[in-house]
Amino acid sequence: MIRLILARLAQLPLILLVIYTATLFLAWQIPGSPLDTPEARRPPEEVIRAMEAQYNLDSFWSFYWSYLDNASGVRAAREYITGDAARQLQAARDAGRPVLQRRFFDFGPSLQYEDWRVSEIISASLPVSVAIGSLAIVIATLVGVSAGVVGAVKPGSALDAATFVIALIGVSLPSFVTGTVLLILFPVTLGWGSIGKLESPADLVLPAITLSLPFAAYIARLTRMGMIEALGADYVRTARAKGVSASGVLFRHALKNAGLPVLSYLGPATALAVTGSFVVERLFSLPGMGQHFVNAVLNKDLFLIIGVVLVFAVLLVMLNLVVDVLYRWIDPRIS
Amino acid sequence: MWKLVLPVLCLIVLLLGVGLMEPAAPKADLVVINRGDCNTLDVQRMSWLQDFRVAAALYEGLLTADRFSTSNEKLPGVAESWTVSEDGLTYTFHFRKDAKWSNGKPVTPEDFRYSWRRALLPDLANDYATLFRLIEGGAEFYSWREEELKRFEAESAGVPRPVESQRLWQETLRRFDETVGLTAPDARTLAVRLARPVAYFTEMLVFEAFFPIYPPVVERFEQPSPVTGRLEFSSEWSRPPLLVSNGRFKLASWRFKRDMLIVRNEHYWNQSDIHANSILMPSVSDPNAQVMAFQTGTVDWLTDVVPDYRAEMIEAKEAFYREHWDEYQKLKARGLDPIAIDRRLPPDPRKNIHVFPTFGTYWYNFNCLPTLPDGRMNPMADAKVRRALSMVVDKRNIVENIRRSGETVAQTIIPPGSIAGYESPAGLGFNVEAARVLLAEAGYPAGAGLPVIEILFNRDGGHDLIAQAIKRDWEMNLGVSVRLVQKESKVLRNDLKGRKFMVSRGSWFGDYGDPTTFLDVNRSDDNNNDRGYFSSEFDEMMKASDAERDPAQRMALLAKAEALLIAEDLPLMPIFHYTSTMLFDADKISGVSPLPRQKQDFGLLGKLGENSGANTKASITPREIPVPGSAGLKPVPGNVPPSAAWPPSSREGN
Repeated sequence: MIRLILARLAQLPLILLVIYTATLFLAWQIPGSPLDTPEARRPPEEVIRAMEAQYNLDSFWSFYWSYLDNASGVRAAREYITGDAARQLQAARDAGRPVLQRRFFDFGPSLQYEDWRVSEIISASLPVSVAIGSLAIVIATLVGVSAGVVGAVKPGSALDAATFVIALIGVSLPSFVTGTVLLILFPVTLGWGSIGKLESPADLVLPAITLSLPFAAYIARLTRMGMIEALGADYVRTARAKGVSASGVLFRHALKNAGLPVLSYLGPATALAVTGSFVVERLFSLPGMGQHFVNAVLNKDLFLIIGVVLVFAVLLVMLNLVVDVLYRWIDPRIS
Repeated sequence: MWKLVLPVLCLIVLLLGVGLMEPAAPKADLVVINRGDCNTLDVQRMSWLQDFRVAAALYEGLLTADRFSTSNEKLPGVAESWTVSEDGLTYTFHFRKDAKWSNGKPVTPEDFRYSWRRALLPDLANDYATLFRLIEGGAEFYSWREEELKRFEAESAGVPRPVESQRLWQETLRRFDETVGLTAPDARTLAVRLARPVAYFTEMLVFEAFFPIYPPVVERFEQPSPVTGRLEFSSEWSRPPLLVSNGRFKLASWRFKRDMLIVRNEHYWNQSDIHANSILMPSVSDPNAQVMAFQTGTVDWLTDVVPDYRAEMIEAKEAFYREHWDEYQKLKARGLDPIAIDRRLPPDPRKNIHVFPTFGTYWYNFNCLPTLPDGRMNPMADAKVRRALSMVVDKRNIVENIRRSGETVAQTIIPPGSIAGYESPAGLGFNVEAARVLLAEAGYPAGAGLPVIEILFNRDGGHDLIAQAIKRDWEMNLGVSVRLVQKESKVLRNDLKGRKFMVSRGSWFGDYGDPTTFLDVNRSDDNNNDRGYFSSEFDEMMKASDAERDPAQRMALLAKAEALLIAEDLPLMPIFHYTSTMLFDADKISGVSPLPRQKQDFGLLGKLGENSGANTKASITPREIPVPGSAGLKPVPGNVPPSAAWPPSSREGN
């Protein structure tokens, strides 16, 4: 187990390097300049040159290396070791000027939200997305598993058909429809909750429900399939023959095995949910991270694109690792 | 079984942890949705409209604009008085004693010198650096610094040289002091010497890029790079409590993508002119959620209404006016502004939507180059073709049936009536017969022989519908064939820059209240001349207006130059003048200006009625635009009422 964890963690830097290279390569191909200002106004040629020099945007490789240098902390470490940092400090003191504090891991500025660093944007938005995403996953698991079990008890019954229809709706209705319906129903018509504010944990409920529906539907189908298979298995018949109660068979014996595919789905699903959803965040005006995946690409905000993609990659790797560890722990057959 | 439940339990605990960490949103006198979210509070780096609006509340320039005057009047700001030298080159500003920063320190001429020097540094890459080149020595200083930086970087070749970089910076400061025409003869006087007389210099002083920032704090976040010599910046000073400002308000909190709270600045010199104690700006970017937030009462003012059903909301207001038609006509005849009219009509939720003219125009660019970059012959190079095409577009159809947002048909580039003393020239109008004759004269009788015309536009924003209407007009009226080319907006920008188009959509919003803010984009050497329009005649006219000292003469020259553009050469075809659509209850808030200045000043906002949190003692009288001829108010010479976008006027036709 420890070896598994260590091996995975050792792979992480390599995975991130590959993802960084691929992301930057793709993002660099986005047409237009990242320095374009709004309202079709174009700064003078020399200003554009100055901006490019400031952000190392003049060539792919100069950006590639300088970002790597800053974000990995190599630059800060190098300056410390070679004594450059100390020399800079001394020169500034001699000139009677203040010294700029720099971060060890510098993920750069956002080109669009000019006053914010990428690290600030992520640390401000990730907690919101984690809150909504994890709530959505909890809801999806509870709803999905119970719907799946209900459907599997009597396959082909009216109850099974009903859960199937609900699951189908959950998967196929886009969240901008379900979200808008919830908004119109609760805050606008009934006056429950608020719009455009994130004041109390209660304001997270509507967006979480909206976000959970497609996950719940998928989990319901996974559970149902697993349950039907498990209920037909030999050990279930044996348990029944031993006189185990109906609920005992369902929850103690069948669900334990049927839950494994759900568990393996929960890893990537959680990574997806906690990094936010563009549509849900926009509809409910939430300051989450999902919007940056879309907006940063539209604005060609290179620093922000790479920042959010790397965060997503780390979360995905870590959650898959957690699922693998849980797997081994729950099911001793796997090693 | 419990092993399966455990992961879910972990998630619940995580969730509770995050939920409890959630801080409560602040309360405020007024809540405003300011488009989406602010990008920067650094005035020398701003280019977005929503940032300018907040900057106007946080900072104050040497002079301030009177947002309720149609005559472009300037009010004293940090400077209580100012003089202009005989030759129009030297402006001397006398600072008021009580001009203070929000920390109580006095605003000094040195603060302005610091801020303007910052704007002139190539290091900052300021969008509006060109405006500062009007100051004597400014352009030379900029290019000198650029050269020095290039040399420094080449010399260091990647090796850090901290001592030399500090030395270069000291040298830059010395150079600025010696060569740039910005001096502070004493602690309360600033003298600005211009490179040439600029008739609209005071107009530029009320533009946000000329506002001061607080040097002692900002200085701490800049440092010359030991490798490139370039000043490295960090914008961390633009958050509370570091941000120090000198306007009516100061920054109390700014949470990324959540909200910004500004509160009364107790050190502002004119306390009686602050009408709210606090203004909260939540970040809501979905157009539909914005409208719902207003309708549920969470928000007092929505500055830009953009959902699909906007036209229906405007129609509902028209219906409201029709129900109160006589009263409405009577108020309008008194010369009241649209907000003043609404305040005098009975309360009704339908009247909360407001449409005001802006300082912007939607147009079509014609490429004037003889051949396109891909080598094809460009039929648009012939001014006769451009004129013919412009005369057959049914602009009223576009405004009334496609936009449906109360815009006015445009024959001119500059919105008529938006600049005091400027008499807009007449445009071409709608004339199919004359257009056919012109096209035949150009060698394409009934469109024969004319290559397929390509119209370039971007996907979003309803540009496709306008392009389709224009295609139909051109094909039906002139017999030409038209192809629509739709591209993503970043690609469109690129194509415009490389002049890779025949006809394309375009638009412009003015920055300061002078015709040059619109006309300059057609100068041969202007960086925004996407059209490849190189006319020595036009350039001469603009140069003559630069040299002209008499204001009336100068305006006449500029009007002639605009006439050349819109009646003769047509490098662009004006289609309509933009309006801005807002949601607010006129009975509840004051300080919103209906004049065609696109920038609202949040510092002027106040709450009316019983719940006027800030001013329970003295109730606010909302400022309205003075009615010409009414008691106590002299009509201002050359005072043109703002082009009445509300209700949609049918006076200006095709």
